[in-house]
Parts: sequence; C-alpha cells; structure tokens
Amino acid sequence: MVEDGIFLKSLDLFKEAFPGRINQILKSKEEGKKIIGTLCLYVPDELIYACGADRVILCGGRSATIAAAEEYLPRNLCPLIKSSFGSVIDQKCSKTKSCPHFGLVDLIVAEATCDGKKKMYELMDKYIPTYVMDLPQKPENQNAQEYYIKELESLKDVLEKLTGNKITDAQLRNEIKSANETRKLLHAIYELRKIDSPPIRGTEMLKVLQQMHFLSPGEFRKNLVLLLDELKLKKRENSGPRIMISGCPMAAGNMKVPEIIENRGGLIVAEESCTGTRAFWDLVDEKKEPMKAIAERYLKIPCACMYPNERRINQILKLAGDFNVDGVVYYTLQFCHGYNVEKYRVGEALKKSGIPLLSIETDYSGADTEQIKTRVDAFLEMLE
Amino acid sequence: MISIGIDAGAATTKAVVLRDNEIAGYTIIPTGFDFRKAGEKAFEEVLSNCGISESKVGTILATGYGRNSIGFADKTISEITAHARGVGYLIPAAHTIIDIGGQDSKVISTENGKVVDFLMNDRCAAGTGKFLEYTAKALEISLDELGTLALVSKNPANISSMCTVFAESEVISLRAQKTKKEDIAAGLIESIILRTTAMVKKLGIKPEVAFVGGVAKNPGVVKAFEKALDIAVLLPEEPQITGALGAALLV
Repeated sequence: MVEDGIFLKSLDLFKEAFPGRINQILKSKEEGKKIIGTLCLYVPDELIYACGADRVILCGGRSATIAAAEEYLPRNLCPLIKSSFGSVIDQKCSKTKSCPHFGLVDLIVAEATCDGKKKMYELMDKYIPTYVMDLPQKPENQNAQEYYIKELESLKDVLEKLTGNKITDAQLRNEIKSANETRKLLHAIYELRKIDSPPIRGTEMLKVLQQMHFLSPGEFRKNLVLLLDELKLKKRENSGPRIMISGCPMAAGNMKVPEIIENRGGLIVAEESCTGTRAFWDLVDEKKEPMKAIAERYLKIPCACMYPNERRINQILKLAGDFNVDGVVYYTLQFCHGYNVEKYRVGEALKKSGIPLLSIETDYSGADTEQIKTRVDAFLEMLE
Repeated sequence: MISIGIDAGAATTKAVVLRDNEIAGYTIIPTGFDFRKAGEKAFEEVLSNCGISESKVGTILATGYGRNSIGFADKTISEITAHARGVGYLIPAAHTIIDIGGQDSKVISTENGKVVDFLMNDRCAAGTGKFLEYTAKALEISLDELGTLALVSKNPANISSMCTVFAESEVISLRAQKTKKEDIAAGLIESIILRTTAMVKKLGIKPEVAFVGGVAKNPGVVKAFEKALDIAVLLPEEPQITGALGAALLV
C-alpha cells in the first residue's frame, strides 16, 4: 500500500490512552468502584456498566509473558491464552509488571468458549477470583436463548453481590443505548472503508478496535466521534489490493500479520474477527425487554466455537462483496482448533465465489516473519 | 537485452543470465551465512561464466528468502511468482509445481506462467531438504546416497515423525532395531512425500506436474512422488534454477 504521509490526529487519542486509563481505574477503585476483567465478546458490557462497575479487557497479544505462562500451561496451546495467563503470573511475581491492569481487577468474568480458555480459567481463579458464565454451544437451538438469559441472570446476581448495586431495567436500557451508539459509529467508519481510497488503513483501524474494551465506553465513543469527523474531512490516497482479514482475534500488542500485509503493499479494508466486525456488527434491539434483547444480540456473534456456524461463512461472503475485497487472509493462532478447523469450509465457500484465500497460522513470535512475508508477497503479486 | 535473476535461497544462491530471452548461463553456490555476499558472488561468477561485463547488464531482479538483502537488485519478487514464471518458460505444459527447497516446500497452481493459487509449509523445516540432510546424517550417508539407496528398498520403514529432530531420534531407534539402511532411507523419503502429497491434493492436481528445487535432484524422491501421485513428474534439466530464471524473465 502506498503511504500518503497524511496522519490522523485523532488516532493519537487511542494510542495515548493507556496511562490515563490506568489512572482512571485507580481513581475509580479509590471511590469504591469494582473493576471487572473480561476476555470475550460474549460477556455483555451492558450488564457490567449497569451495576456501576468498570471493565478492562485482559486478552494478551504480546509474546513477552508467554515464557512465564509455560511454567503452568502446555506449550501446544493458543498464544492468546498463554499471553493472558502469563500477565497474571508476571504480575504476581511483580518482576516485569507486564500488564498493570491485571492487578486492579476485582473479578474476572470469563466464559465457556474454547477448551483451552476454560481450563486456563481454573488456574487463573487461584490468582484473581474468576467467574465463568456458560454459553449454549448450539446458539440456534430453540432453548438456547432461554438458557443464555438464565446465565445472564446468574451473572447479574454475581455482579450485584460484588458491587452492592441493583441492576434496574432503566439502567440496562441506558447502557444498551450507549453501546448501540458506539456500534453505529463503528459502522459509519467501516462504511468509509468501502470506497476506492479509504481514509483509514487496516493497521490504523485495528489499533482503534484493540482499545474498544480497554477504554471506558464513554471515552472510546468520544474518540470515535472525533475520528469519524476527521475521516470525513480528510482525503487520502490509500491503494493496493483490497484485503479482508478473517479469523482469530488480534489482541493489543499483536500487529504482526496486518503490518506485514500493509508494509508489503496490501490494503486491509475489513476485519472479520473479534477485533473487527464481531465486536460491533449487530445492535441490541432497544424496543424489546432488555435481557432478552441482549441475549438475542450476543448469541448472534459468529464465534468458531459454536455449532453450526454457517452464519459466519455467510457473513464472510457478504463482507467480501460489500467491501469489494480482492482477497481474504485467513488468520489463525496456532492450536486454535475452532478457527483452524473452520478454515476448510470457509475456504471452500470463498473458492466457489472466486475469492482468493491466503491462510496464515502463526503465534506471537517473530520466527516466521520472513516466511509470512514471502507468502504475503506472492499473494499480493497474484492479486495484482 | 541482458537481465539477471538472483534467487537468494536459504541453502543455495542461484543466478541466471538471460540474453534476448534465452538462458546465457547460470551458477549455483552455497549461500552460507550472508545473503548479500552470496548474491554478489553468484552475480560475479555468472557474469564471468558467460563472459559478459557488468556494464552490459540491464535489470537485476532478486527473489528467494534473502531477496531483500540483495541491495544491488533493481526489484524483488517472491519466489512463488518467480518459480511459476520460470517453470512456465521451461515446461509450458506444467500447471502444478512442486518446489522443495532447503527450508520450505511449496505447491503452486499456475496458468500461463502465472500463480493461480499456492500453499507453503508452515514455519518448520519438516518435509524439506533440511529434513533429508539431517536424517541422512543419522544414517551416516550423503544426501546422494540416500536417494540411490532408497531405490533398492523393498520394505520401507514407517517413519511417523514429521519433525526433523524427532525423525532423527526415530532413525536411531530403527537402527537399534536393526532395520536395513535402505529401508530407513526409503521410509524417510516416504515421510517427505506424504507431507507434500497432502499439500498437492489440497490444492488439486492439474497436469502436468513439474518438480523443482534442490530436492528434485534426488532420484529416490522423484520416484516416490510419481508413485504417490500416480502421475509422471516433469523435471527441468536443472531443477534448482527455475526461481532465478523466473526472476530474470520478470524484469
């Protein structure tokens, strides 16, 4: 992709937010607020904020903490799980202070998604109290929604007990409205990525999305408004084969593959991932009874740990068309069975639609950087 | 017009001189530690082989693992694109290319010398030239001997380890069980074939199939491939230079 030398000032707001956010959490704690840690999009923000707590995402994207985690966890495990757990261990050793916000968390609200995470949570609980909410593995089943609502009710009880605050319907409705505002802003930004020379590059967008569940929703939303205003004003010359990334999340600190793609001349126009469309695509219906509306929306998230997951394949095909994608880079973390196995069916569907696919399975180390560059170069040369 | 393609591979560096779209000469040298130095040496050597002075050289294109280290090249291109072009020139009927080099293996589907789709092995050297090099060492034979020895085996040993290091341990256990050397050699080659065949089948075989890269020089591997794929495999006269040739053609 050709760089045009134009910078987006509002992106600095996201980049510089880290120290300010830590201070903000420290202050909230002093005022008696409870801090919730989360590691998945299936845990609704709306509930946490409706009971007056604050939350930070704890998904690790850096390799630095993995060695510490491997004292407890097997090597053949997804790097996101190891990196997240490593941050807790490192924090307790207080040697590297790799992830200061871990130490500030009162309760982790985790979720029964993949096996690796579930078992890791059992170990995590020894360091930070961890509550695991269950998820229906067949979300399209008739009774799935009812079951998920029950799980949300239990989570509500846990949060109310922890904070001493009651979650009212009015508060829930408020939080739903705010969260929907954020979702709509992200849709408006993605809309701008559909044009020929989009005003924002994929690596820039990813850094914004990596902050989505780290910043407070209010601050994130405020920054998004400024970003959207700037994007509407600035004309930029971004070109290159239009790439969509699809697959595993890229937690903060993990920029390896998108950076290679854009440094080698590709232009990322969409991300079908937890640090992409899955984080904001569907809205919560504001007219319906809040818990039911929340359950409806969250069960639509097309995670590869669910069965069946035809909806994800349909979403990928739809996005590829809407964003005028030249090729898809299917990104998976090593040992992430869900996304790795689902790759075959996604590949078949893309082939049928005539959309080229490059699949990259990697971890957080730099060991395969050159090999990835070769593949990305060949893929981009093929698309040109 | 004279152009030069340099393929800075993990194990060997190749250079091809192209004069008016004809191969004027080529060279293959070990890469060693320094990609840049090997590139310079291959460049000088191929020019003196052809008796061409540097001033006559038009464009230089670099490909291969170390392509970005060849500072004097005018442009770089991935070896996948380069192999497709080079094989397209030498074997126009080829639509599937298997390339097994020192560090990686690739399967490329092509149309008129252009890449349509490709697969490349993941990071480790399993199923590559390095795998054969290490395991030959465990048998105390040279790479060439490994290929010829395998041809006489009647009962190839079953080697289940894909990993180079584990396979070496497995070879040691087989030796302890007094398995014949030729059977181990054939077993090692079969394990490489198994891995690459899976990649070929995943991509889909479109005849003809061309086999390039250093490992294509091993007759045992070629024979095993033909058996596994149930199709005759076409080899260029010099299977190691298709990347460099493709680069020279792509300027």
